[in-house]
Amino acid sequence: MKTLQKTLFLASFLLIFACSSDDSSSKDEERPTISIDYANGFPQGCEELQRGETNTFRARVTDNEALASYSLDPHHNFDHHTHDDQIGDCELLPLKSSVNPWIFMENYTIEGGVQEYEIAIEITIPEDIDTGDYHCAYSITDETGWQSRTSIDIKIVE
Amino acid sequence: MLLSICYGMYAFAQEPLKIRGKVMDSLSMTPLAGVTIIGKYDYAVSNEMGEFSLQIKNSEMVEVSHIGYASTQVQLSGKDTTTWNILLRPSNTELDEVTVRGKTEQREAQETATVSVEIDEEFLHANRENSLMQTLRKIPGVSTMTIGSGQSKPTIRGLGFNRVSVVQNGIKHEAQQWGSDHGLEIDQYGLEDIRIIKGPASLMYGSDAIAGVVDILPPKVPEINSFSGEVNLLGETNNDLLALSAGIQSRKEKWYYRARLTYRDYADFKVPTERINYENYIFELYENNLRNTAGQEANGSFSIGFIGENFKSETFVSNVNAKNGFFANAHGLEVRLSRIDYDASSRDVDLPFHKVNHFKVTHNTTAYLGDHTFQFDLGFQNNQREEQSEPVPHGYMPTPPDSRERIFTKNTYTANVRDMYKTMGGHTLSLGVNSEFQNNNIGGWGFLIPAYDRFTGGVYVFDHFEWNENLHLKGGLRYDLGWLRTKNHYDWFQSPVDNADGSTSNIYLQRASDTSLNFGSFSGSLGLSYIHGNTTYKINAGKSFRMPLAHELASDGVNYHMYRYERGNINLNPEASYQMDVEVSHVASGYSVGISPFVNFFDNYIYLNPTSDYKETLQIYEYTQAKIFRVGGEVHLGVDVTSNLHMTGSTEYVFSRQNSGPKEGFTIPFSPPLIGMVSANYSMGDFSFFKDLHLNADLRIAATQSEIVPPEEVTQGYQVINLSGMGKINLFKNGNPALFRIKLNNIFNTEYYDHTSFYRLIDVPESGRNLSVSITLNL
Repeated sequence: MKTLQKTLFLASFLLIFACSSDDSSSKDEERPTISIDYANGFPQGCEELQRGETNTFRARVTDNEALASYSLDPHHNFDHHTHDDQIGDCELLPLKSSVNPWIFMENYTIEGGVQEYEIAIEITIPEDIDTGDYHCAYSITDETGWQSRTSIDIKIVE
Repeated sequence: MLLSICYGMYAFAQEPLKIRGKVMDSLSMTPLAGVTIIGKYDYAVSNEMGEFSLQIKNSEMVEVSHIGYASTQVQLSGKDTTTWNILLRPSNTELDEVTVRGKTEQREAQETATVSVEIDEEFLHANRENSLMQTLRKIPGVSTMTIGSGQSKPTIRGLGFNRVSVVQNGIKHEAQQWGSDHGLEIDQYGLEDIRIIKGPASLMYGSDAIAGVVDILPPKVPEINSFSGEVNLLGETNNDLLALSAGIQSRKEKWYYRARLTYRDYADFKVPTERINYENYIFELYENNLRNTAGQEANGSFSIGFIGENFKSETFVSNVNAKNGFFANAHGLEVRLSRIDYDASSRDVDLPFHKVNHFKVTHNTTAYLGDHTFQFDLGFQNNQREEQSEPVPHGYMPTPPDSRERIFTKNTYTANVRDMYKTMGGHTLSLGVNSEFQNNNIGGWGFLIPAYDRFTGGVYVFDHFEWNENLHLKGGLRYDLGWLRTKNHYDWFQSPVDNADGSTSNIYLQRASDTSLNFGSFSGSLGLSYIHGNTTYKINAGKSFRMPLAHELASDGVNYHMYRYERGNINLNPEASYQMDVEVSHVASGYSVGISPFVNFFDNYIYLNPTSDYKETLQIYEYTQAKIFRVGGEVHLGVDVTSNLHMTGSTEYVFSRQNSGPKEGFTIPFSPPLIGMVSANYSMGDFSFFKDLHLNADLRIAATQSEIVPPEEVTQGYQVINLSGMGKINLFKNGNPALFRIKLNNIFNTEYYDHTSFYRLIDVPESGRNLSVSITLNL
C-alpha cells in the first residue's frame, strides 16, 4: 500500500502544479471604442434633424487589433424608454404614442481588419414619419467579439 | 403493481435474529456507554464497554443516538455474524472530519471513489443564507450564481447552469436552470441531508451531471410514536426580510407524515454605493436601494410515508411559488427608463419581474428482498415561469399588447428503478434505469426557446467491490439515449424581407422549425478508495456527458433582457467530459487536512459565443462548441487551536482554457476567481442563560479575476468578513430549548463584485452590510 499512497500523493501534487503552467498567449482583451465626440461626429446630442433632409451619420471607431462590424439603429423615444450616454440632458417632448415611426435598422461590415475607421452612412429621413424624440444607437464589434455602443438623443422636426 | 410487490415480500419475513455491536466515539475511538439503538421491534442501550445486542428481522435500519453526538441511521443485516462497529461523531465537530464505521452515509461517502461532501441539518442551520446555494457556498469548490438577494443557482468548480444536476428525493429537479436569471425553486427549510458530488456523475445521475450533483436526500424517518415540530423566524436588515417557516412531523408506528409551510417577504436589497455606473450610464440609487429587487416566496410541502416489514415508502407533494423583481434600470444589458415610480416603496415588485411556480410530486419506495434492495423513484413536476417586462417596441416589432414577455410551462415526468444486489465475495451490484419525459410550452411576445418535447433514458450497471474493509473499488458503465422534438414558431408581427427580384415583402419570420434530433452516449467511471488509519485516499476517472438543450440547438431571436440576438446551432453534439479526481484527506486528533485536485477535458463544451456580426442591429451570440482543458482543486485544513477554538482554512481554484474554436486561448464564461476562506469557531459553552454558545468569524478572500472572455469584464478581488453567534436559550420551563442565531454579513459594508453574479454584467456590487436574527422553536 505504501506505493499506492506515494503515487496518489505525487498525482495530487502534479495536478496542483499543472495549474501554474499558464502560457498566457496574447489574447485580445480590449473592447473597440466608438465616439461622436469630434468635429464631424453626427448627430451630436440634442441635435434637431429635419424630415426629408439627407445627412451623413458619422462616428469614429478604433480597436487595438481589427474592427469587424457596426450597426446603426435610430428609433423613436416617444415613450421615454431610455436616454443617451452623452454629456448633458436634452429636454424631452411630452409622451406620445407612435403612428408611423421611423424605423431604420442596418448592419455593416468593415473589411480589411483595420484598427481605425470612420463610420459614414448617408441617410435621407423619410417625409412621412412621426416627428419627435428619437434615439440614435451605434454599435461596433471587433473580430474577437467585443462590442461597444453609444447612443445619442436627437429630435426629428418638420 | 408496486404495492403488490411490496406486500409480496411479507412472506419472506424471517424469524428475529440477534445481532451484536459496539458503539465508539469516532474521534477518540473510546467505547460509548448508554447509547440508544432503536430498531423496529427492539431497542438496546450500550453497556460500559459500548456493547449492545439487538433483535432484528433480516435487515433493517436502526437509529443510533446519544447525547452530545450526532444521531445516525445504520443499516444492519442479520446475515453477517460479525460484530457491528458503529462510530458516533461528536455533534459539534466539523463536517469534513467525519469518520463513521458501520454503513452510515458518511462512511459510504468515504468509500465512494468520487469526491463528495455530506452536509447535515446542523450545517444548514448554522450557515443559512438567503437561498440554499448561498448557504452551500461555504463548501470549498461550490459557488453560486446569484440573482439579487433571494435567488441563486449552483456552480461546482466553475461549471453551472445545466451542468450541475440538482436532485431531490431521487428525482432530478427540473426548472428553467438554463436561464441566467433563474433561481433554484427549492424551499431551503426542512432539508436535513445534502450530498454534493464534485466531479462528473453521469454514471449514476444521467445527463447534466457533468460537473457535479447537489443531491438533496429525503429527511430521516421520524421515530416511532413521536411528534415534533419547529417554527423558524428570520429577520434581516439589508433587504428588510421577514421569513417564517413551520414544520411538523409525526409517526405512530408504520405510518408517518411531515408538513411544512414557508413564507418569505423581502424589500429591495441595499448595495454599498450611491450610483451604478454601467457603460456610459449613471443610475443614482435612492437610499442605496437596488430598485425593484424585492420579492416574495410562499412554499408548502406535505409527505406521507409507510414503513412495512421489508420496505419503506414515502410520497412528497410540494409547491414553491415566488415573485422576484429585477433591477429596473438595466435588466441584463439594456438600459431602461420608465415612468414607474420604483422608489415609492422598496417592498413592491414592479416590472420587470418574474413569477415562478414549481409543483412537484415524488414517490420513493425502497424494498428489501433478500440480498436485493430495490429502489423506485417516480416524479411529476410542473414548472411555470412568467417573465414580465414593460412592453417596448423594437425594430419592426410594434409595442407589445401586454407585459407578458415570455411564458414557459414545463411538465417533467420521471421514473427511476434500481436494484442493489449484494453478492458473495464483496461485490455490490447496482442495476438501474432512469427515464425522463419533458414537455415545454411557450407563450408571450418575446421568443427565445422553442416549445419542445424531450425524452431521455439511461441504463447503468455499477459495481462496488469491497476488496477488504478498507479498500473499495467502484466502477460502472452507462448508456443513454435521448430525442428532442422542437416545434414551429413564427413572429407575431411582420418584418420586411428583401426578395430576389428586388422587391420587398412583409412576412411573419419563422424563428423555430419542427425538428427531431436523436442522441446517444456512453459514460462510465472507475475509481478506488483506500482508508488507511486516519487517512482516506481516493482516485477516480470518468467520462460524463450532457445532451444539448433546446435553446442551445434552436434559439433564434432577440433576448430583450440581454439585448442581444441569440442563435442556436442544430449541429451541436452531446458534450463529453473526461475527468480525473484525486482526494487525500487525513483526520487526526486536533487537526484535519485534505486536498482534492482534478483535471478535466471537454471534447465539445457548449457555450454562447459573442460573434462580431449583427442581426437586426443587435450583436449575434451563437451557441458554439470548443475543446476545453480545466484543472484545479481544493485544499482544506482544520486545527483545534485550543479545546474551544477551532480554525479552518480552505482555498479553491479552477483554471480553464479553450483549446479550439473562435475563443481559443480564452477561459470559459463565468470562471470563478481563486477563493480563500478562513474561519474561526469558538465554543463558549454555557453563558448566563445561553447554552452551547458558539461564536464564528469568517473571512472570504477572492483574488482578482482577470481570466475573462467577451463580454465579461475583469473583476477586482475582495475581502469580506462575516460574524455570527448561535446557541440555545430555555424560553419555556420544561420545554425544548430554542435555537437562536445572530449573523452580521459584510461587516465593513465593503463594495465588492462577484464575478459569477448575474448583476456583475451591469456593474452592480454585491449586497452591503446585513444583520440577520433567526430563532427556531422546537415543539
